[in-house]
Amino acid sequence: MNFLSLLSVEYKKIKRSKIFLILFAAAFILWIPSIINSDLNFHMETEGISPENNFFIQGFMAMSWFMFPASIVVVTVLLNQTERADNGIIKMLSLPASTVKLSLAKFIVMLSLAAAQILILTGAYYASAAIVSVIQDYNFILPPLFVAKETGIIFLSALPMTAFFWMVSVCIQTPVFSVGTGMASIVPSVLLINTKAWFAYPMSYPLFVVSSEYGKLAANLETAQPELIPWLPVAVVITIICLIISCSCFGWAARR
Amino acid sequence: MNICLEYKKVKRTGFIQLFLCGAILAAVVPVVNMVFRTEMYTSIHNTPVQILLGANWQLMAMFNVLVIVTGTCLLYHIEYDNNSIQKLKSLPITESQVFLGKAALSVIMYMSVLVIEAGAVIFCSCHWFVTGDGFWKELCQNFIYSFIMGLPCIALSLLVSEACKNMWMSFGIGVVCVFTALILPEKPFFLSLFPFAMPFKMLAGTKHVINYIYASAAWIAVTSLAELLLIKIRRSFE
Repeated sequence: MNFLSLLSVEYKKIKRSKIFLILFAAAFILWIPSIINSDLNFHMETEGISPENNFFIQGFMAMSWFMFPASIVVVTVLLNQTERADNGIIKMLSLPASTVKLSLAKFIVMLSLAAAQILILTGAYYASAAIVSVIQDYNFILPPLFVAKETGIIFLSALPMTAFFWMVSVCIQTPVFSVGTGMASIVPSVLLINTKAWFAYPMSYPLFVVSSEYGKLAANLETAQPELIPWLPVAVVITIICLIISCSCFGWAARR
Repeated sequence: MNICLEYKKVKRTGFIQLFLCGAILAAVVPVVNMVFRTEMYTSIHNTPVQILLGANWQLMAMFNVLVIVTGTCLLYHIEYDNNSIQKLKSLPITESQVFLGKAALSVIMYMSVLVIEAGAVIFCSCHWFVTGDGFWKELCQNFIYSFIMGLPCIALSLLVSEACKNMWMSFGIGVVCVFTALILPEKPFFLSLFPFAMPFKMLAGTKHVINYIYASAAWIAVTSLAELLLIKIRRSFE
């Protein structure tokens, strides 16, 4: 079986899973408080950030600190449970396809759902920015190129994290531990972005990227900026190691 | 009786270990914070409990809520997995009793989590601060309050996991609820009564303490009613 047909099978499996409900709910819930408290954007003199930038960055910061990584963990549960229910994994492993391809196909599905979440979030951002512009009589809508660049960077920075979560869910068979490890690993990222070793912790990348952008947009705020040299190689190495481990361990409990 | 049965069911699922690991992680937070920022905290003029909880409770509560959400998902996942819920329904116990048993088990686990966290606070207080006369009373009050604040969260997330057949669905809803709690503004007052936001509340610095306790009781009553309704409605569709 070629990779594309494997991918289409994977999409078919989650077609009726209603995962998009969760993704939409998160985007909806994120922007409601921002719309209600939109007048606060005009009182950011201490930080020196413009209202429209503040509206954008605060929303994405809240998202990248908890909801974005957590929804990737939810996706891993979804992908795993569709196989574990009724021993589907055994039928899957008996297909004429290598386990590496099967594992990678699932990883690509995870990435596409992460990308879908960012797209939904961006769509919701534009809708809420339009609403706030009308309410406050001030243009809150940022140029699409700038927003596309920021969201693109957030997605790219989430690649190592996604690979890590996939590895955890493949290697740890007990569902409660794989979920628990994923969730527990999200919490420290808020502390780790303030340390020098942030680049060694993939879960902190999206939050670090957004908070460094916050520092750039706010005139009176200094935040650490990403240095590509230790970061990029470390991120690539982490991603590759996680992918190798997850590909080689995929379905290990059923193959024993 | 029910609790013993429920305990036996989850014995080998990692449920107990999940709560213990969560508690240890949460307990490490104040200790690590004190090790790295000793002078910053010891120079504050306040009681040790208030300093420690003020600095660390948000993160500790986050661990507590995540553990509750994950743990309660598991409690019903083991029933829905391989359709064991159908065998459960044929037993001479009602579904509400099962719910009560699971709730009681979660409450006991949450209590043990708080005891471990209180242990960490006691350690930090004795090691870095001078504990005064009212220390133990204040500590007990704070943790009893946190315990009461956690109950609606347990009840509601257990209800969600009972309602959803798929583990990822109940877990996803739980995660969205935790996220809502994190971004909810403090005002107006009724927003802070969201069950998943309540475990983040501390006794110190909270203005309407008694109202929150009433709200906690009200949420438990509402959730129990909703649970009874859910069972009735679901049965009529099966």
